[in-house]
Amino acid sequence: MTSLLSGRGLVKHYGDAYALAGVDIDIAAGEVLAIVGPSGSGKTSLLHVLAGILKADQGAITLGTQRIDQLSETRRSELRRTEFGFVFQSGMLVAELTAEENVALPLLLGGRDRNMAVSTARNWLGRVGLAGKETRRPGELSGGEAQRVAIARSIAHRPKVIFADEPTGALDTKTGHATIETLMGAARETGAALVIVTHDRDIAAMVPRTVAIRDGRIEHSAVAA
Amino acid sequence: MNSFQLAVRVLRVDRRTQVSTTLTALGVAVATGLVLLLVSLPFATQARAERVLWQDPHPTYADMSDSAGTDPDATLEIVTSTDEVDGKVITRVDVAPLSAAAAKDLPPGIDRIPGPGEMLQSPELAQLASSRPAAELADRFGAKPVGLLGEGALMFPEQLVALVGHTPDTMPANKLQQARLGDGSAEPDELLSLLAGVGVVVLLVPSLVLVASASRLTAARRERRLAALRLAGATPMQVTAMVAAETGLAAVAGAVVGVAMSPVLHAAATWVSWDGGTWLAHDFVLPWYVTVLVALVVPVLVVGAAVFGLRRVVNTPLMAVGGHTRKPLSVVRLAAVPVAVGFFFWMLMTVNQTDSMLPVLVALGLLMWSPTVVGPWVTSALGGVFTKVWRKPAVLLAGRRLRDDPKSAYRASAGVVLAVFAGSMALTLMPSLEGESGYRSPYRESVLYLASDEEQAPAVVEAANEKLARYGLAERAATVGFVSVRQGSTDLTGYVVSCANAQVLLPVRVSCVDHPAIYAPSGSSVEVYSYDGEDERQEPLAGKPVASRDLPMVLIDPSLVPAGASLSGVDVAMPASNASRETARTAFLAASGGAQVISKEMMLGDQNVQLADLRRVTVIGLVTASLLGGLSAAISTAGSVLDRRKTFGALMAAGTPVRTLARALRAEAALPALVATIGAGALGTVVGVGLFGLVSKSAPVLSPWLAAPVVLGALVALLAASVCTPALNRVRAEPLADE
Repeated sequence: MTSLLSGRGLVKHYGDAYALAGVDIDIAAGEVLAIVGPSGSGKTSLLHVLAGILKADQGAITLGTQRIDQLSETRRSELRRTEFGFVFQSGMLVAELTAEENVALPLLLGGRDRNMAVSTARNWLGRVGLAGKETRRPGELSGGEAQRVAIARSIAHRPKVIFADEPTGALDTKTGHATIETLMGAARETGAALVIVTHDRDIAAMVPRTVAIRDGRIEHSAVAA
Repeated sequence: MNSFQLAVRVLRVDRRTQVSTTLTALGVAVATGLVLLLVSLPFATQARAERVLWQDPHPTYADMSDSAGTDPDATLEIVTSTDEVDGKVITRVDVAPLSAAAAKDLPPGIDRIPGPGEMLQSPELAQLASSRPAAELADRFGAKPVGLLGEGALMFPEQLVALVGHTPDTMPANKLQQARLGDGSAEPDELLSLLAGVGVVVLLVPSLVLVASASRLTAARRERRLAALRLAGATPMQVTAMVAAETGLAAVAGAVVGVAMSPVLHAAATWVSWDGGTWLAHDFVLPWYVTVLVALVVPVLVVGAAVFGLRRVVNTPLMAVGGHTRKPLSVVRLAAVPVAVGFFFWMLMTVNQTDSMLPVLVALGLLMWSPTVVGPWVTSALGGVFTKVWRKPAVLLAGRRLRDDPKSAYRASAGVVLAVFAGSMALTLMPSLEGESGYRSPYRESVLYLASDEEQAPAVVEAANEKLARYGLAERAATVGFVSVRQGSTDLTGYVVSCANAQVLLPVRVSCVDHPAIYAPSGSSVEVYSYDGEDERQEPLAGKPVASRDLPMVLIDPSLVPAGASLSGVDVAMPASNASRETARTAFLAASGGAQVISKEMMLGDQNVQLADLRRVTVIGLVTASLLGGLSAAISTAGSVLDRRKTFGALMAAGTPVRTLARALRAEAALPALVATIGAGALGTVVGVGLFGLVSKSAPVLSPWLAAPVVLGALVALLAASVCTPALNRVRAEPLADE
């Protein structure tokens, strides 16, 4: 399988502590994988480094044929805006904007016009089960609904890779599972690869491939039968 | 762990609390220092007035020149006059002891009363006199300098003063008798006291806004922390005590710094000229109880405001933890400005009845507070418009933020708004007052006048002309008499002077005919009033007047004044060019023995000094208020980034460029500021017009410069808003890091 996003020899340290101590990882187009590990194992650092949010101290990251670790911050921002989508633990929605505006925001920032961005946002909100709640603010939505808005936002601009950092961390089990189903469905629909960081083994079990990380190193990688 | 220990613990470990505490302390220090300076101004003017009590006569009789004999309490005779050199005022005090007791208990700075023909002078006058020919200055006093006046006898260090000694028979005619030199009581300068009151309002409010902005830096985090404590079982009183301890630490530290830096502010203030000169350092020394009062009241106000701001956490901690939906602002808020304006003008109209400026100052304070009521509503409305018409994400983000939290958004511009209000008010007053300067002056430019009487005037003219000739000047003095006249039903002043002399000595434009004549506003006959004991007579002047429409008076050739008509006064007048002015003055004063010489330039000079004082104080106040306002706006903007650090971080992680967020934040800060500053500019102009109405019935002058504070305010707000870029760059460095 050809890899869409790959990291080679990734090292990241904070002072004397190593968050990543030489990680190699490949993610194929349309693949869904979970990065699991205990707190402080380096899984979030790996996600941030792969997404270009953090710069690795050593190593190379390639998206398709492009070395993204050598790009400027501006270019990496542009890449994150156009090629990647993000879902964070608590949604990280803009509190002042409505659900519809939150979803439209990445499109607007990418230069789409208002009507197109808003209609795409409405479309995606409907697909994640939030039709009729387009004008609600994040504070007026439940935790699960807010995460579904975040999922719609991450997918609306049709990214190549979606990064989800503990997307169910603030949700109950049932809602968490439903959220992962929604996320995987959305990724499948657009053909995006999905990288989920989680410490929840049940969530990891829902995902075809699991990469376990401990002390900044990959402990093992397993593909579900 | 008690509340204070908890506050110290938080301060030691939390960097943002440290920044907030430092800025709060800075705001309190600035507020304390400014209040201490402003409240010291009335004391400073009183200290000045006490030093120069000796320069003003405080007679035992109203006018001894009309009385017979000597008051038994009087020990000396005194006359005070003002003169000028190079446009600087010279105060001249002529004094003649009546008994040896005059030399006892002299005011500070005067070691003795100069003997006849001797004078004491201020150091600045001595230096000026020695630096130019005697004919231009020294000869005016007709006395030999025998010593210097000390600092304690001067209004300000550079004051020009001469204390000239006489015997009673050489004293000028308008002498007064006095018990001792320096009698009487001193009062603070009313204008500066009024300005200090306005200054407290104009500068204290931006200082407190600065404190509020600084404490908002940690507000969101502190609310969460305190709400968590409430949920963990802390009582409202315990939570309140924690906030009081946290804010109290900063406020007390700030007040101490404010008191400590007040001598520096006072020292700086000594360089600011007021009423013609600078100050002595100890003028600004405040009574200790005033210092203690200010140092206590400012921190108490700050702590009180912080505790008041906590009521939401205290009452409903869950709301503070979980967030809440804000209630829309009531449209009733819009009424605040018209109500405050109405109240202000009502107070202005009743100020003459109450004879106190306090109600006007209270109304002014309310007026300045009213934009903070209306501002958030306008901000919210503006946000509503943005959220409807947006095309770019920056406008959408700004609009939603303004709509969602208009109070916070407006708070960023509140300080600038006050500065604009004060500036517009001042810029309405300044040109209007300048327009009043020299209005309808009875004096002609470059002419010196000396009030005399019918008997003495010829001798003064003769002596002055003899001096002028001796100094080699071509100018000559002449008399101008005054009579009361009536033309038709209008009472006018008749100037007894030849037409040729009137063209040179009076502020008139008249075409002279080739024979002695009467010149009047119309050609109808003129009657002259004369008084004979208790009876008043009207006697027609011979001949028909030459009509001269522009004349505001009647000119009568001396040869046409009826023999029975008595003059109500006589001036001796003398033209003086720029080149000859000082020498001509010397000749005039030497000839008159130190009587008061006046000129249009001197009259304008007094007004100009006052206007320059007002302008200087206004500029200092405006700049200070703008700086404080700009600093508040900058802190508020930085605070708004910190409050939303996680959201901005997530947006940046998802690829949102800093410039897009910065544009949104700038729009969020600058747009309400722009609207608010335009409103504040209009309000300031209205108040300026009202205040001008207190001192003049003329129409106020509204210049295009009124736009300057609005532009300045918007610019300060925009510059302050630009601090969002470095704040966002800090977020960008670690967008998903915990706070």
